[in-house]
Amino acid sequence: MSTTELTREDLATVSPAWWAAAVLTIVLLAVTFAVEPGLFIDQAIGGLVYGMVLVLVTLGLSLILGLMGIVNFAHGAFFMLGAYLSYSVVVTLGLPFWAALILAPLIVGVVGVVLEITVLRYLYGSDPIVSLLATFGLTMMIEEVIRAYWGTAPLEISRPAVLTRGTDLGVTTVPTYRLFLVGVAVVTIVAVYLLISRTDFGLTVRAGVQDGEMTEFVGVNLPVRFTAMFFLGAALAGFAGVLYSAETGMRTTMGETFVILAFVVVVVGGIGSLFGSVVSGILIGVSAYLTPVVLTALAEVTNQPWLALQIRDLVPYLVMILILLYRPRGLFGEEGFLE
Amino acid sequence: MSGETATGGGSTETLDRARALFWRYRVPLGLVLVVLLLRPVISHPLLLGYEAVAATILIWMVFVAAFNLLFGYAGLLSFGHAMFLGFGMYAAAIGVSGRAGAPELPFPVAAAIGIGVAATVGYLLGRLTVEKGEIYFAFLTLAVAQAVEFTANRNPLNLTGGSNGVTQNVLPSWIESTRGQLVVVFGGLEVDWYWFVSVVFLVAMLALWQIVRSPFGRSLIAIRENGDLARAMGIDTTRYKVQAFTISAAFSALAGSVLMVDRYGASQETLSVITSGDTVLMAVLGGVRYFFGPIAGVFVWQFAEEFLNEFEVLHLGFASVDLSGVLTHWHFFLGALFVVIVVVAPLEGIWGYLRDWMRGLYGRLKGVAE
Repeated sequence: MSTTELTREDLATVSPAWWAAAVLTIVLLAVTFAVEPGLFIDQAIGGLVYGMVLVLVTLGLSLILGLMGIVNFAHGAFFMLGAYLSYSVVVTLGLPFWAALILAPLIVGVVGVVLEITVLRYLYGSDPIVSLLATFGLTMMIEEVIRAYWGTAPLEISRPAVLTRGTDLGVTTVPTYRLFLVGVAVVTIVAVYLLISRTDFGLTVRAGVQDGEMTEFVGVNLPVRFTAMFFLGAALAGFAGVLYSAETGMRTTMGETFVILAFVVVVVGGIGSLFGSVVSGILIGVSAYLTPVVLTALAEVTNQPWLALQIRDLVPYLVMILILLYRPRGLFGEEGFLE
Repeated sequence: MSGETATGGGSTETLDRARALFWRYRVPLGLVLVVLLLRPVISHPLLLGYEAVAATILIWMVFVAAFNLLFGYAGLLSFGHAMFLGFGMYAAAIGVSGRAGAPELPFPVAAAIGIGVAATVGYLLGRLTVEKGEIYFAFLTLAVAQAVEFTANRNPLNLTGGSNGVTQNVLPSWIESTRGQLVVVFGGLEVDWYWFVSVVFLVAMLALWQIVRSPFGRSLIAIRENGDLARAMGIDTTRYKVQAFTISAAFSALAGSVLMVDRYGASQETLSVITSGDTVLMAVLGGVRYFFGPIAGVFVWQFAEEFLNEFEVLHLGFASVDLSGVLTHWHFFLGALFVVIVVVAPLEGIWGYLRDWMRGLYGRLKGVAE
């Protein structure tokens, strides 16, 4: 997975153009902060929240892709299923939000395991395109189940009282829930990273990816471990779904939107690198929220009102195209992976 | 079949020649057969009972066949092909209606602009992505299509109409709409819309067939089967893939411009990921390895969509009421069928299955005759 040696080496050989771009970005951000400090902090935290959700979604996708070679299109459906399940737990069953935060990911994980055992297990080692197509069919099925059970109207849940208040940050007041979300996401990401890189479980799974036959020779039950990885990936998506939908509500389009964004994050971060996914998720989230603010500030400073474009939805794709033009492998991608 | 019986009774030599001729031109014959049979078949009371969707089905066949040139022949899975359909659709709609200060153009000119835009985008995107590997290619086309949809939703320069799409004054002057039926008027001549679409269908499909069986098409298959070997044989794989992408985009936009008239305007839904996904589903359902695969896939899909939706409304027929509630969620069952097809034989689809079955039947009949 992510190799930190590669990262340091890359940072040492950054070209002058990248330095220029970095300096320009810092200048633009400084100007924006000077013009609109409150809005800037507000949007920066909004972007961080969005980025953290993206990282959580992408982490599961990246694990399944990097370790098992399955391109899981159904990951967005898992995300959406987690969100809708939290609605059932909180509104239908009347349990607190904290219960939804634990129950929904568990159920999504079990759904993931069922799909892995019934369908995806037969696709290990085959063309990744085949797994993409198969999981696309599964996505259709899950989405139809969601439409049939929960309906197509947008839904909402209420957050626990502790998290509905605001936190004063000096220049602006930020909803406490956003800070909570960022904190929980950071803890989760670190935990997953440690699980993969520091535990025996992570070691054997990685060994199984390198050489499955040999790993099984030394007595590792690989299929069970792969199923567990799939559980983890699906549960992470469900977890992200609960966190995100408590902030914005549930919609039937959230699955497809986020699976595409997760793919964008993977491409920008570099396929096969967990570290890359984390960096690019935050980068994309923050830049999506800050770009409109920066453009508005620029429009104000230069007195050119046409500059104030509202392009938040477009920014992830622009970032992706830029990265592809100048660094086709992604920020921290390994050479030759899925190429 | 008809070719054989017409010359039957002559010497075996003429029979053989006729058979060879029939076999050589089986694709054009099959296409004509599709055009002639599609409308009577679906308007049969036992099936749909109405014929309005026949033209739409033909247009979709062109689009999915264009998509399949890229996926089935060049081996590149584009998950964002809806954008090319959308370029054709929006260019035709904006051009004909002349909205927001755009010049009012005749339909062929507007359609040509759409095709040109699609081909240009296909070319540039191809240059950027075709050598990135299959999965990258699928992600990238998906993401770019999403970006295109967002842009159309933003309604730049008031051209695309945002989420409403372009629906005002979009019919060219030579097309009349009476009671929901489109009629093409050439001078004093009135032609049913279906026949106009049929001509477009036949021209486009024959062009695609020529491309597929040309040395260019054969090279694409070589690249799909073994890219390294193809390169070693002196095929410039990148160039061929980019060209395939460009051609596929152009034909998709052609289908889009005709679909604009058929649907009375350009809608934002056409640009969505769902359309792109449906395209992939239809192609795989039909069988991506065969020229007629997409045609079979589109027919089954569109027919199922119309038939099962109708079923819900007409549930007082011979079926029970409960069934209609289940059939509303036909996407679920289609998804399941799709998963089974992909896991069992991802490249064969319905057409491949049908072909095997016909071969078996033919072999058995021959055995009985001898």
